[in-house]
Amino acid sequence: MDQNNSLPPYAQGLASPQGAMTPGIPIFSPMMPYGTGLTPQPIQNTSSLSILEEQQRQQQQQQQQQQQQQQQQQQQQQQQQQATAQQATSQQATQVASGQASQLFHSQTLTTAPLPGATPLYPSPLTPMTPITPATPASESSGIVPQLQNIVSTVNLGCKLDLKTIALRARNAEYNPKRFAAVIMRIREPRTTALIFSSGKMVCTGAKSEEQSRLAARKYARVVQKLGFPAKFLDFKIQNMVGSCDVKFPIRLEGLVLTHQQFSSYEPELFPGLIYRMIKPRIVLLIFVSGKVVLTGAKVRAEIYEAFENIYPILKGFRKTT
Amino acid sequence: MTYQLYRNTTLGNNLQESLDELIQGSLNMYRFCDNVWTFVLNDVEFREVTELIKMDKVKIVACDGKNTGSNTTE
Repeated sequence: MDQNNSLPPYAQGLASPQGAMTPGIPIFSPMMPYGTGLTPQPIQNTSSLSILEEQQRQQQQQQQQQQQQQQQQQQQQQQQQQATAQQATSQQATQVASGQASQLFHSQTLTTAPLPGATPLYPSPLTPMTPITPATPASESSGIVPQLQNIVSTVNLGCKLDLKTIALRARNAEYNPKRFAAVIMRIREPRTTALIFSSGKMVCTGAKSEEQSRLAARKYARVVQKLGFPAKFLDFKIQNMVGSCDVKFPIRLEGLVLTHQQFSSYEPELFPGLIYRMIKPRIVLLIFVSGKVVLTGAKVRAEIYEAFENIYPILKGFRKTT
Repeated sequence: MTYQLYRNTTLGNNLQESLDELIQGSLNMYRFCDNVWTFVLNDVEFREVTELIKMDKVKIVACDGKNTGSNTTE
Protein backbone atom coordinates (compact mmCIF):
# COMPACT_ATOMS: atom_id res chain seq x y z
CA MET A 1 0.00 0.00 0.00
CA ASP A 2 1.08 3.50 -0.53
CA GLN A 3 2.96 4.68 2.47
CA ASN A 4 1.22 7.99 2.30
CA ASN A 5 -1.85 6.27 3.56
CA SER A 6 -0.51 6.39 7.06
CA LEU A 7 -0.53 10.18 7.15
CA PRO A 8 -3.54 12.19 8.15
CA PRO A 9 -5.08 14.05 5.23
CA TYR A 10 -3.69 17.39 6.21
CA ALA A 11 -0.17 16.07 6.06
CA GLN A 12 -0.52 14.32 2.76
CA GLY A 13 1.05 17.13 0.85
CA LEU A 14 4.10 16.96 3.04
CA ALA A 15 5.01 13.36 2.52
CA SER A 16 5.61 13.62 -1.18
CA PRO A 17 7.17 16.51 -2.99
CA GLN A 18 4.83 18.64 -4.93
CA GLY A 19 4.02 17.23 -8.30
CA ALA A 20 4.86 13.71 -7.31
CA MET A 21 2.99 11.08 -9.13
CA THR A 22 1.67 9.24 -6.15
CA PRO A 23 0.61 11.60 -3.45
CA GLY A 24 -2.55 10.66 -1.71
CA ILE A 25 -4.61 8.03 -3.42
CA PRO A 26 -2.75 4.79 -3.57
CA ILE A 27 -4.33 2.73 -6.28
CA PHE A 28 -4.20 4.78 -9.46
CA SER A 29 -1.50 3.84 -11.88
CA PRO A 30 0.19 6.68 -13.73
CA MET A 31 -1.11 5.88 -17.15
CA MET A 32 -4.60 4.97 -16.18
CA PRO A 33 -6.96 6.64 -18.59
CA TYR A 34 -9.48 8.95 -17.17
CA GLY A 35 -12.27 6.77 -18.38
CA THR A 36 -12.12 4.72 -15.26
CA GLY A 37 -13.16 7.47 -12.93
CA LEU A 38 -15.21 10.56 -13.22
CA THR A 39 -14.22 11.67 -9.78
CA PRO A 40 -10.99 10.56 -8.23
CA GLN A 41 -12.28 7.53 -6.42
CA PRO A 42 -9.82 4.78 -5.86
CA ILE A 43 -10.56 1.48 -7.49
CA GLN A 44 -12.05 -0.77 -4.92
CA ASN A 45 -9.95 -3.90 -4.90
CA THR A 46 -10.86 -3.93 -1.30
CA SER A 47 -10.09 -7.33 0.00
CA SER A 48 -7.10 -6.21 2.02
CA LEU A 49 -8.32 -2.84 3.20
CA SER A 50 -8.84 -2.13 6.83
CA ILE A 51 -11.47 0.21 8.13
CA LEU A 52 -8.83 2.77 8.99
CA GLU A 53 -7.53 2.86 5.43
CA GLU A 54 -11.10 3.11 4.23
CA GLN A 55 -11.76 6.13 6.39
CA GLN A 56 -8.56 7.77 5.27
CA ARG A 57 -9.43 7.15 1.67
CA GLN A 58 -12.85 8.64 2.18
CA GLN A 59 -11.30 11.72 3.70
CA GLN A 60 -8.99 12.00 0.73
CA GLN A 61 -11.92 11.69 -1.62
CA GLN A 62 -13.80 14.42 0.15
CA GLN A 63 -10.74 16.60 0.08
CA GLN A 64 -10.27 16.06 -3.60
CA GLN A 65 -13.90 16.67 -4.38
CA GLN A 66 -13.75 19.95 -2.54
CA GLN A 67 -10.61 20.90 -4.39
CA GLN A 68 -12.25 19.89 -7.64
CA GLN A 69 -15.15 22.22 -7.06
CA GLN A 70 -12.82 25.06 -6.30
CA GLN A 71 -10.86 24.37 -9.42
CA GLN A 72 -13.72 24.12 -11.88
CA GLN A 73 -14.29 27.81 -12.27
CA GLN A 74 -10.63 28.56 -12.64
CA GLN A 75 -10.10 25.96 -15.29
CA GLN A 76 -13.09 26.33 -17.54
CA GLN A 77 -11.22 28.34 -20.14
CA GLN A 78 -8.30 25.98 -20.00
CA GLN A 79 -10.56 23.01 -20.51
CA GLN A 80 -12.29 24.46 -23.51
CA GLN A 81 -8.98 24.98 -25.18
CA GLN A 82 -7.87 21.53 -24.25
CA ALA A 83 -11.08 19.97 -25.48
CA THR A 84 -10.59 21.35 -28.94
CA ALA A 85 -6.92 20.56 -28.89
CA GLN A 86 -7.47 17.02 -27.76
CA GLN A 87 -9.79 16.15 -30.53
CA ALA A 88 -6.99 16.97 -32.86
CA THR A 89 -4.04 15.61 -30.97
CA SER A 90 -3.58 12.46 -29.05
CA GLN A 91 -1.58 13.68 -26.17
CA GLN A 92 -1.95 16.39 -23.67
CA ALA A 93 1.08 18.31 -22.61
CA THR A 94 -0.17 20.40 -19.80
CA GLN A 95 -0.93 19.28 -16.31
CA VAL A 96 -4.13 17.35 -16.01
CA ALA A 97 -6.11 16.83 -12.88
CA SER A 98 -8.80 14.27 -12.51
CA GLY A 99 -11.19 17.18 -12.19
CA GLN A 100 -10.23 18.42 -15.58
CA ALA A 101 -10.54 14.94 -16.89
CA SER A 102 -14.08 14.67 -15.70
CA GLN A 103 -14.99 17.84 -17.57
CA LEU A 104 -13.44 16.52 -20.74
CA PHE A 105 -15.14 13.23 -20.25
CA HIS A 106 -18.51 14.87 -20.26
CA SER A 107 -17.78 16.98 -23.24
CA GLN A 108 -16.71 14.05 -25.37
CA THR A 109 -19.48 11.63 -24.37
CA LEU A 110 -17.31 8.58 -24.13
CA THR A 111 -18.91 5.22 -23.89
CA THR A 112 -16.34 3.52 -21.76
CA ALA A 113 -17.85 2.93 -18.37
CA PRO A 114 -15.85 2.74 -15.18
CA LEU A 115 -15.52 -0.82 -14.04
CA PRO A 116 -14.89 -1.15 -10.36
CA GLY A 117 -11.82 -3.20 -9.78
CA ALA A 118 -10.58 -2.98 -13.35
CA THR A 119 -7.57 -1.11 -14.56
CA PRO A 120 -7.69 -1.34 -18.35
CA LEU A 121 -4.27 -1.45 -19.87
CA TYR A 122 -5.21 0.30 -23.04
CA PRO A 123 -7.54 3.22 -23.35
CA SER A 124 -10.46 3.14 -25.71
CA PRO A 125 -9.18 4.12 -29.15
CA LEU A 126 -11.43 7.12 -29.28
CA THR A 127 -10.06 8.65 -26.11
CA PRO A 128 -6.83 10.57 -26.25
CA MET A 129 -4.10 9.35 -24.01
CA THR A 130 -4.09 11.65 -21.10
CA PRO A 131 -1.23 11.23 -18.70
CA ILE A 132 -3.04 11.73 -15.50
CA THR A 133 -1.08 12.61 -12.47
CA PRO A 134 -3.04 10.37 -10.22
CA ALA A 135 -4.66 12.09 -7.34
CA THR A 136 -2.66 15.24 -7.65
CA PRO A 137 -5.56 17.57 -7.33
CA ALA A 138 -5.55 20.59 -9.54
CA SER A 139 -4.84 22.66 -6.48
CA GLU A 140 -1.98 20.91 -4.73
CA SER A 141 -1.67 21.14 -0.99
CA SER A 142 0.11 24.27 -0.06
CA GLY A 143 3.26 22.68 1.26
CA ILE A 144 3.16 25.20 4.10
CA VAL A 145 2.53 24.01 7.61
CA PRO A 146 1.26 26.50 10.18
CA GLN A 147 3.42 26.58 13.29
CA LEU A 148 1.75 26.52 16.66
CA GLN A 149 2.56 29.61 18.69
CA ASN A 150 0.39 29.37 21.78
CA ILE A 151 -1.73 26.82 23.57
CA VAL A 152 -4.14 27.70 26.37
CA SER A 153 -5.28 24.88 28.59
CA THR A 154 -7.11 24.43 31.87
CA VAL A 155 -6.93 21.87 34.62
CA ASN A 156 -8.58 21.35 37.98
CA LEU A 157 -6.24 20.68 40.87
CA GLY A 158 -9.22 19.43 42.85
CA CYS A 159 -8.68 21.26 46.14
CA LYS A 160 -9.03 24.73 47.55
CA LEU A 161 -5.81 26.72 47.60
CA ASP A 162 -4.45 29.46 49.82
CA LEU A 163 -3.07 31.90 47.28
CA LYS A 164 -1.10 33.94 49.79
CA THR A 165 0.80 30.87 50.94
CA ILE A 166 1.54 29.95 47.36
CA ALA A 167 2.70 33.46 46.49
CA LEU A 168 4.94 33.72 49.52
CA ARG A 169 6.56 30.33 49.30
CA ALA A 170 6.72 29.54 45.59
CA ARG A 171 9.32 30.97 43.28
CA ASN A 172 8.43 33.22 40.37
CA ALA A 173 4.95 34.04 41.55
CA GLU A 174 2.93 37.25 41.60
CA TYR A 175 -0.17 37.89 43.61
CA ASN A 176 -2.00 41.18 43.77
CA PRO A 177 -5.52 40.40 44.98
CA LYS A 178 -6.61 44.00 44.57
CA ARG A 179 -5.99 43.72 40.85
CA PHE A 180 -6.57 40.08 40.02
CA ALA A 181 -7.74 37.21 42.18
CA ALA A 182 -5.15 34.66 41.08
CA VAL A 183 -1.49 33.85 41.48
CA ILE A 184 0.49 34.32 38.28
CA MET A 185 3.29 31.81 38.22
CA ARG A 186 5.87 31.14 35.53
CA ILE A 187 8.25 28.33 34.78
CA ARG A 188 11.16 28.34 32.39
CA GLU A 189 10.82 24.93 30.82
CA PRO A 190 8.45 24.80 29.02
CA ARG A 191 8.28 28.57 29.03
CA THR A 192 4.74 29.11 30.22
CA THR A 193 2.60 31.16 32.57
CA ALA A 194 -0.11 29.84 34.83
CA LEU A 195 -3.03 31.55 36.54
CA ILE A 196 -3.82 29.68 39.71
CA PHE A 197 -7.14 30.39 41.40
CA SER A 198 -8.23 29.77 44.96
CA SER A 199 -10.87 27.32 43.76
CA GLY A 200 -8.07 25.03 42.63
CA LYS A 201 -8.58 25.67 38.95
CA MET A 202 -5.65 26.68 36.82
CA VAL A 203 -5.06 28.14 33.37
CA CYS A 204 -1.79 27.38 31.61
CA THR A 205 -0.70 29.51 28.66
CA GLY A 206 2.29 30.01 26.39
CA ALA A 207 3.20 26.45 25.44
CA LYS A 208 4.03 25.66 21.81
CA SER A 209 2.58 22.16 21.67
CA GLU A 210 -0.12 20.07 23.27
CA GLU A 211 2.36 17.88 25.08
CA GLN A 212 4.30 20.86 26.38
CA SER A 213 1.10 22.41 27.67
CA ARG A 214 0.23 19.25 29.54
CA LEU A 215 3.75 18.89 30.88
CA ALA A 216 3.82 22.48 32.07
CA ALA A 217 0.46 22.11 33.78
CA ARG A 218 1.78 19.04 35.54
CA LYS A 219 4.83 20.97 36.71
CA TYR A 220 2.67 23.71 38.18
CA ALA A 221 0.54 21.08 39.89
CA ARG A 222 3.67 19.56 41.36
CA VAL A 223 4.80 22.94 42.69
CA VAL A 224 1.45 23.39 44.39
CA GLN A 225 1.61 19.85 45.71
CA LYS A 226 5.06 20.41 47.19
CA LEU A 227 3.74 23.40 49.06
CA GLY A 228 1.49 21.03 50.96
CA PHE A 229 -1.78 21.08 49.09
CA PRO A 230 -3.43 17.80 48.03
CA ALA A 231 -3.29 18.69 44.37
CA LYS A 232 -4.65 16.35 41.71
CA PHE A 233 -4.71 16.66 37.93
CA LEU A 234 -8.33 16.53 36.87
CA ASP A 235 -9.97 17.34 33.53
CA PHE A 236 -6.97 18.67 31.67
CA LYS A 237 -8.32 20.26 28.52
CA ILE A 238 -6.83 22.33 25.77
CA GLN A 239 -9.08 25.33 25.27
CA ASN A 240 -7.42 27.22 22.46
CA MET A 241 -4.60 26.80 19.98
CA VAL A 242 -2.97 29.54 17.93
CA GLY A 243 -0.92 28.98 14.82
CA SER A 244 0.75 31.20 12.27
CA CYS A 245 2.34 30.92 8.86
CA ASP A 246 3.41 32.85 5.82
CA VAL A 247 2.05 32.31 2.32
CA LYS A 248 5.02 34.27 0.94
CA PHE A 249 3.06 36.56 -1.35
CA PRO A 250 1.14 39.81 -0.78
CA ILE A 251 -2.66 39.62 -0.61
CA ARG A 252 -5.41 41.93 -1.86
CA LEU A 253 -7.45 42.17 1.32
CA GLU A 254 -9.91 44.57 -0.24
CA GLY A 255 -10.80 42.04 -2.91
CA LEU A 256 -11.08 39.26 -0.37
CA VAL A 257 -13.51 41.17 1.81
CA LEU A 258 -15.68 41.98 -1.21
CA THR A 259 -16.10 38.40 -2.33
CA HIS A 260 -16.18 36.75 1.08
CA GLN A 261 -18.08 39.41 2.93
CA GLN A 262 -20.17 36.99 4.92
CA PHE A 263 -17.01 35.61 6.49
CA SER A 264 -14.68 38.60 6.49
CA SER A 265 -14.38 41.89 8.28
CA TYR A 266 -11.72 44.32 7.25
CA GLU A 267 -11.43 47.77 8.83
CA PRO A 268 -7.92 49.02 8.09
CA GLU A 269 -8.50 52.07 10.23
CA LEU A 270 -9.15 49.83 13.21
CA PHE A 271 -6.82 46.93 12.55
CA PRO A 272 -4.57 46.23 9.59
CA GLY A 273 -5.55 42.59 9.30
CA LEU A 274 -8.60 41.04 7.72
CA ILE A 275 -10.57 38.93 10.21
CA TYR A 276 -11.88 35.83 8.46
CA ARG A 277 -14.30 33.69 10.45
CA MET A 278 -14.31 30.30 8.83
CA ILE A 279 -17.36 28.16 9.48
CA LYS A 280 -15.87 24.77 8.94
CA PRO A 281 -13.72 24.31 10.84
CA ARG A 282 -14.70 27.04 13.23
CA ILE A 283 -11.47 28.99 13.14
CA VAL A 284 -10.73 32.69 13.02
CA LEU A 285 -7.94 33.76 10.71
CA LEU A 286 -6.14 37.08 10.74
CA ILE A 287 -4.90 37.73 7.23
CA PHE A 288 -2.41 40.47 6.54
CA VAL A 289 -1.31 42.23 3.39
CA SER A 290 2.18 40.83 3.81
CA GLY A 291 0.88 37.30 3.42
CA LYS A 292 1.22 36.35 7.03
CA VAL A 293 -1.71 34.47 8.49
CA VAL A 294 -2.65 33.86 12.12
CA LEU A 295 -5.13 31.08 12.91
CA THR A 296 -6.84 30.80 16.24
CA GLY A 297 -9.79 29.21 17.97
CA ALA A 298 -8.80 25.61 17.47
CA LYS A 299 -9.33 22.89 19.99
CA VAL A 300 -7.15 20.42 18.07
CA ARG A 301 -4.14 20.83 15.80
CA ALA A 302 -5.96 19.36 12.81
CA GLU A 303 -8.40 22.27 12.77
CA ILE A 304 -5.54 24.72 12.27
CA TYR A 305 -4.15 22.69 9.40
CA GLU A 306 -7.54 22.17 7.84
CA ALA A 307 -8.39 25.85 8.06
CA PHE A 308 -5.15 26.79 6.39
CA GLU A 309 -5.60 24.29 3.60
CA ASN A 310 -9.06 25.76 3.07
CA ILE A 311 -7.89 29.36 2.96
CA TYR A 312 -4.76 28.85 0.89
CA PRO A 313 -6.42 28.50 -2.51
CA ILE A 314 -8.60 31.49 -1.72
CA LEU A 315 -5.56 33.55 -0.84
CA LYS A 316 -3.81 32.45 -4.02
CA GLY A 317 -6.74 33.87 -5.91
CA PHE A 318 -6.19 37.24 -4.30
CA ARG A 319 -2.47 37.41 -4.76
CA LYS A 320 -1.20 40.90 -5.47
CA THR A 321 0.35 41.00 -8.90
CA THR A 322 1.97 44.45 -8.74
CA MET B 1 -7.76 49.28 35.43
CA THR B 2 -6.32 45.85 35.96
CA TYR B 3 -3.64 44.96 33.49
CA GLN B 4 -2.10 42.13 35.39
CA LEU B 5 -4.37 39.76 33.55
CA TYR B 6 -2.46 40.51 30.38
CA ARG B 7 0.84 39.37 31.81
CA ASN B 8 0.14 35.83 30.81
CA THR B 9 -0.82 36.73 27.29
CA THR B 10 1.69 36.47 24.51
CA LEU B 11 2.60 40.07 25.15
CA GLY B 12 3.05 39.40 28.80
CA ASN B 13 5.15 36.36 28.11
CA ASN B 14 7.37 38.32 25.79
CA LEU B 15 7.73 41.07 28.36
CA GLN B 16 8.74 38.47 30.87
CA GLU B 17 11.26 37.01 28.49
CA SER B 18 12.61 40.47 27.81
CA LEU B 19 12.92 40.99 31.51
CA ASP B 20 14.83 37.77 31.81
CA GLU B 21 17.06 38.60 28.89
CA LEU B 22 17.62 42.12 30.14
CA ILE B 23 19.08 40.76 33.30
CA GLN B 24 20.97 38.42 31.02
CA GLY B 25 19.81 35.23 32.55
CA SER B 26 20.85 36.02 36.07
CA LEU B 27 17.37 36.48 37.47
CA ASN B 28 17.04 33.52 39.77
CA MET B 29 13.64 34.26 41.25
CA TYR B 30 11.05 36.96 41.58
CA ARG B 31 8.03 37.42 43.77
CA PHE B 32 5.29 39.95 44.14
CA CYS B 33 3.04 39.74 47.19
CA ASP B 34 1.46 42.39 49.40
CA ASN B 35 2.71 45.00 46.97
CA VAL B 36 6.30 44.06 47.69
CA TRP B 37 8.65 42.92 44.97
CA THR B 38 11.45 40.48 45.81
CA PHE B 39 14.15 39.59 43.33
CA VAL B 40 17.06 37.22 43.68
CA LEU B 41 19.84 37.77 41.17
CA ASN B 42 22.98 35.74 40.56
CA ASP B 43 26.42 36.86 39.39
CA VAL B 44 25.75 40.55 39.68
CA GLU B 45 28.06 43.44 38.89
CA PHE B 46 27.39 46.79 40.49
CA ARG B 47 29.22 49.44 38.62
CA GLU B 48 29.81 52.97 39.76
CA VAL B 49 32.17 55.43 38.14
CA THR B 50 35.08 54.51 40.37
CA GLU B 51 34.08 51.17 41.77
CA LEU B 52 33.14 47.74 40.56
CA ILE B 53 31.52 45.29 42.97
CA LYS B 54 30.81 41.68 42.03
CA MET B 55 28.48 39.43 43.95
CA ASP B 56 27.26 35.89 43.57
CA LYS B 57 23.83 36.44 45.00
CA VAL B 58 21.79 39.60 45.42
CA LYS B 59 18.37 39.87 47.00
CA ILE B 60 16.40 42.99 46.21
CA VAL B 61 13.28 43.86 48.19
CA ALA B 62 11.32 46.75 46.80
CA CYS B 63 8.18 48.41 48.11
CA ASP B 64 5.95 50.70 46.22
CA GLY B 65 5.99 54.15 47.63
CA LYS B 66 4.97 57.62 46.77
CA ASN B 67 8.53 58.82 47.23
CA THR B 68 11.01 56.05 46.53
CA GLY B 69 11.33 52.29 46.69
CA SER B 70 13.64 51.06 49.44
CA ASN B 71 16.34 48.52 48.57
CA THR B 72 18.34 46.17 50.72
CA THR B 73 21.00 43.82 49.53
CA GLU B 74 22.68 40.89 51.16
